[in-house]
Formats: sequence, structure tokens, C-alpha cells
Amino acid sequence: MKFWIGAALALAIGVGLPLLPVNEYVFYAGYVVLTYVVLATAWNILGGYAGYVNFGPPAFFGIGAYAAVVLFKWLGAPLGVQIAGAAFMGGAMGFGVGLLTLRLRGIFFAIATVAIIFIMETLMVNWRYVGGATGLQLLRPQVELYASYTRMLFAVIAVMAVASVAIARYVQESWIGRGLRALRDSEEAAEGCGVPTLRLKLVACTLSGALMGAAGAPMPMYLSFIEPASTFNLAYTIGSLGSAIIGGMSHWAGPIVGAILLGSLQQIITVTISNEMNVLVVGVLLVVFVVAAPEGILGLFRKVLGRTSK
Amino acid sequence: MRKALSFVAGLLLAGFAALASAQGNPIKIGMSMPQTGSLGAGGQAALLAIRMWVEDVNAKGGLLNRKVELVVYDDQTNPANTPGIYTKLLDVDKVDLLFAPYGTVPTAPIMPLVKQRGLLLMGNFSFQVNHTVKHDMWFNNAPWTDASSWFDGWITIGKRVGGKTIAFLAADQEFAQNLANGARELAKKAGLQTVFDQNYPPTTTDFSSLVRAIRQTNADLVFIASYPNDSVAIIRSVNEIGIGSNVKLFGGGMVGLQFTPNMVNLGSLLNGVVNYNSYVPGLKYPGIDEFLKRYAQKAAEAKVDPLGFYLPPFNYAMGQMVEQAVNGTKSLDQKKLAEYLHTHEMQTIVGPIRYGPDGEWANPRVIQAQFQDVADKNMDQFRQPGKQVILWPEQYKNGNAIVPFDKARK
Repeated sequence: MKFWIGAALALAIGVGLPLLPVNEYVFYAGYVVLTYVVLATAWNILGGYAGYVNFGPPAFFGIGAYAAVVLFKWLGAPLGVQIAGAAFMGGAMGFGVGLLTLRLRGIFFAIATVAIIFIMETLMVNWRYVGGATGLQLLRPQVELYASYTRMLFAVIAVMAVASVAIARYVQESWIGRGLRALRDSEEAAEGCGVPTLRLKLVACTLSGALMGAAGAPMPMYLSFIEPASTFNLAYTIGSLGSAIIGGMSHWAGPIVGAILLGSLQQIITVTISNEMNVLVVGVLLVVFVVAAPEGILGLFRKVLGRTSK
Repeated sequence: MRKALSFVAGLLLAGFAALASAQGNPIKIGMSMPQTGSLGAGGQAALLAIRMWVEDVNAKGGLLNRKVELVVYDDQTNPANTPGIYTKLLDVDKVDLLFAPYGTVPTAPIMPLVKQRGLLLMGNFSFQVNHTVKHDMWFNNAPWTDASSWFDGWITIGKRVGGKTIAFLAADQEFAQNLANGARELAKKAGLQTVFDQNYPPTTTDFSSLVRAIRQTNADLVFIASYPNDSVAIIRSVNEIGIGSNVKLFGGGMVGLQFTPNMVNLGSLLNGVVNYNSYVPGLKYPGIDEFLKRYAQKAAEAKVDPLGFYLPPFNYAMGQMVEQAVNGTKSLDQKKLAEYLHTHEMQTIVGPIRYGPDGEWANPRVIQAQFQDVADKNMDQFRQPGKQVILWPEQYKNGNAIVPFDKARK
């Protein structure tokens, strides 16, 4: 019940805040942070619960973004349809990646997911309809209710963030999560105990891919522009993976904490220190957390709480 | 009592401070500049030139008797960063005027923003970024307009030296394709027969097979549209393998041969290449020599591009144009400034600039120059005219093309 009250509150703030006369910059920066919440949460379903490290978030994010662009350019589809289409494409690709897990595990699986980024990027570079290598400028449609398109996008990504967290929480607490945790510890033992490992991995991959794809859908409209190099940027891997590791991978709340911390920090650094520090900060934070707090901020928190209660 | 006194004193001080800041309130110019990432090196040099303009204008007393202050952030050459940065510049930093970041990709996402808010944007070496948005308060500092403006000179020279057949090699990336398409159209119009036309993936590092394939075709003209690392690799491949004695003109749209480190590293391998440029020594624009002299000193301290021919003068010119518009209109009203820029010829260190309705130069001035007598490992040689002989535009021509390509390399 507590979760749903929190979710409703977050939803109310996310949808209501853009209606108030708040500085537009809040929504531009907030949009990026919330995108990372969705990405990190989605990544954690496969990476955190099942232990399959996916380096390919840009591929899923990118296919979502390009699916949205195709739907917009071809049919003039509204944003809702674009997001649904992007989620479908991301999910379909996730299903394909799930099949990869039949043969690949550990580092080999991780490398295969990196390859998907390059395959997708090359495909888009050569597809002139979506702008090819040059990119495509998009004119945003008129928006009702909200004062600007960016404000509306903020509300949309806030809804998506809440929805993805709810899905991740469901996965974690249901039979799917229990099964995924079992196969993370030992796939053979889990299989031996009757856990349908392949089916679970396929569900996790599809869900994770669909959410990442959906996260990419509003991006072209946020930028009014799309081009392959920045859409398939490895920064999305670092952001989603880093957020989950820093926040904590064992619980649905971990990626949220990590993404808000990392995303906000990056936004602040971009407009303050403003140089390579941005990437450096993520790197240093990752090293510090992997060494000092392998369970992330949530793990650290639990440890401290455990100590004080003793 | 003491508390009350200090409270009153504090209030008075705050009042004075507010008054003083209102009088000396600077004019803020905001921008993002790629200082890291793929355009980082060029961006740093460009930024130095803008800072030089700010210093100069402030030494003259500023604009409208107010100091000019530059607010700049690093966009890391990532277009995903620029909308946020420009919104911060406008809504948090409350800047008065905007300069665009260097490059097409970081600029593209801010075009709808400035159009929606009706803001003047001084463009910074981007290419056809206003093509879709059609913002009437956009003014690009780059000396080109569409793709054909880049290479009508190159194709004309090619025809003049007796070219009948042409080979194209272009990076399958960003504007290399746009450039190549422009050149393809011009070649068709000029009646040149295309004997080779290939795009290569941007990740290519070994060009030997492509260079061999071009040599096989015996083309008269070889047009290349490539990115910095590729340009260097292609020149090295051509040097090792040879391009054939038949080739009369080689080069065209090779990005990166304008950058000092590449020029110095390639040295004599560059001889004979006829390539586009924005500025080369020998162009007699008022103030340019003095600017480059001062730039060279500052660049050495800042450890950025020591020659600074390609971008810095045009970035300084961007400031000069704003200076003229503000002084001419005696206002910071964006509409008035845009109107002034549309209707007046701007006097800059890169020559006079008049704008067309789309905010691009009414008379594009892309230079085609041939590297001649370039020695190895000598940076200072490039400061003198004659190492890059201007072949185009006609009115700035200061030498003749050495053809065939092989002859210039001996």
C-alpha cells in the first residue's frame, strides 16, 4: 500500500508540476534524469535480478527512438502510439536477445549485446528515410493543456518512470523475480529444481527491452532531431548500468536512487564544472561503489541500519 | 541596539550593491561549445577567438556602455545536451544574446527552441541547419550555403585542367554525404563522366583497397568527402600506393586537412591536394593578420590549435557582427538586431558579409586551395602565403594549379 501511495504522489507531482509556472529548465534537466530512471529500472530487471549484464541499452533506446520517428513521419502518429510502437520494437529485440542467452552467458553475453548497438547504428546510418547519417530534424506538433511540448514530455516520462518502477517491483516480488534470482545464483540448479529458466529469461529480456525502447520514444521530440551517433551513444549504457550499480541492484528502488543521483549530478556538472569531469565523475563513483559498497547505496543503507539496530 | 544598527547597515549595503549591479549590469552572451568529444579541439580554438572578441569589445567600453560577459558550457559534442544547456542559459542565467555551438549536430536541436521563442541565433559553422526550421533570425558565420557552394570552384577548376572523368569516395556519415551529393550534381551538370562512386563506412581505417580501386579507374578527377582521421589515412594510402599518373585533381571535401596537427604531421604528403578551406594566408581581409598574430600568442598559452585559420577568425567575426548590429540599432531587441543583420553588409576580419533571406551568406566564399612546396615537420611554413595556393574564388586567386597531381608531389 505504501508503494502505491508513493507512486500516486510521484505521478501527481510529475503530471502536475509542468502545469505550474516553474522554470522551463527544470523540465529539460528533469526529463533526462527521469529517462535514466526508466532505463536503469529496465536494465535492472535483466542485469540485477537475473545477473545477465546487458551492455546494449543504447540499442534498445535507439530502436525505440527510431520506431517513434518512423511512426511520426509515416503516419503522423501521436506520441502515445509512438511510445507503444517503440515498446513493441524494443520488446521484440529483447526477445531476440533472450534467445541469445540460450548459448551465451557471462562476459560472452555482454559482448554480444555491445555488438547489437553497432549493428543497429550501422542500419540507421544507412537508412535514408530516417535521415541516415546526417540526421533528421523534426517539427514538434502543437500541444494542448501544457504550456510547451517539453513540459508535456516531462509529464509523459514521469508516467513512464512510475509505470516502469511498478513493473520492476511486480517482477521482483512475483514468481518471476524468485525464479530470476534462482537462475542468477545457479542456472543449472534452478533448472534442476524445475524453474523454467529459458521462459523466465525471455520474459525478463522482453520486458527490459520494451521499457528501454519506450524510454527512447520521446527523445526525438525532446531534441526535435535524431541522428545515429548520439542516439546509440554508449553514455546510455554507462548511465543505466552505473545507476543500477550505484543505487543497488537487488531491489527495485536501487536504480531509482542511482539514476536520480547520477543523472542530477551529471546535469549539475554539465552547467558548472563543464568539461570531461562529467564522465570522470561517473567513472570514479562507479569504482568507489564497486569497491566500497558492492551492494550500492541501498546495501550501504541496510548495513548502517543493521548496525544501529544491533 | 547594536543588532538593530548592524541590520540597518546590512540593508543599506545590500541596497547599494543592487544599485551598483543595475548600473554595471553586463550584457550576457550565452552559448555551449563542444570542448570535449569529436569537435572538442576545434571548439576550444573557436572559444578562444570569441573570448578575444569579448576582451576587445570590453576594452572599447563594451556594448551600449555595458560590459559584455560570456556564459559558456561544454556540450561534449552531444546534441542531447544542448537543449538543456540553452534553456538554462535563457531561463536561469538570463542571457541577452545567443551564439550557437560549433557544428551542425549540436546546433540542430536548439533551432526549434529559438524559433519558438523568437530569438536571434548567430550560427557557428553549421551546414544547412536552418533548412527545415526556416527561422528568420538565424545568421550563420560559415562561408558556405548549400552543398553546391562548396564545390562549384573545385569542379570548375577540374574542368579547366581538362578533366573528363571523375571518381567519388565519400564517408557514409553526417554531412560528408551531403557534400558528396552536391559535388555529384555539379559534376553531372558539368558533363563529367562518373567512373567510380563509393561510400565507405565511418569506421574504416584501411583505405588501401579503395585507393587501388580508384587507381584502376584512371579517373581524371578524384573527389573525396572524408572526416579528419579518414582524410589522414587516405593521404597516407595514396602516398604508399599511388593514385595513378592520370589524376589531374585530387581532394575536394577532405575535412581535417585544415587542422594544424594534421597539416604538420602530413607535411609534404599534402602537396598537390586541392581542398576546400575557410581561410588561408594570402587572403587580404582587413584586420585578419593582426588577429592571427594575437591569436597565435594566446593559442600557445591555451595550448589550442596554434595556427587557427579554419574556425577562430569566423568566431571572432560572429562577435564583430553582433557588435555592429547592437551599435547600429542601439538596442538589444532581437527583432531589430535580426533586421539590421538582414539589411546591412557586415564588416569583419573574414571580409564583408551580406546575408540572404535564409540566414546564410548571400555570396558564399568557400576557398579551394592547393598545397604546394610543403616541407615536412614545419608548422610555421603554413603562416606564409603560397603553401596553400588559392585557386578559387577567382577574385582571390594567388597562383595556378600544378597538374597533374603527381607533378605537384615531385
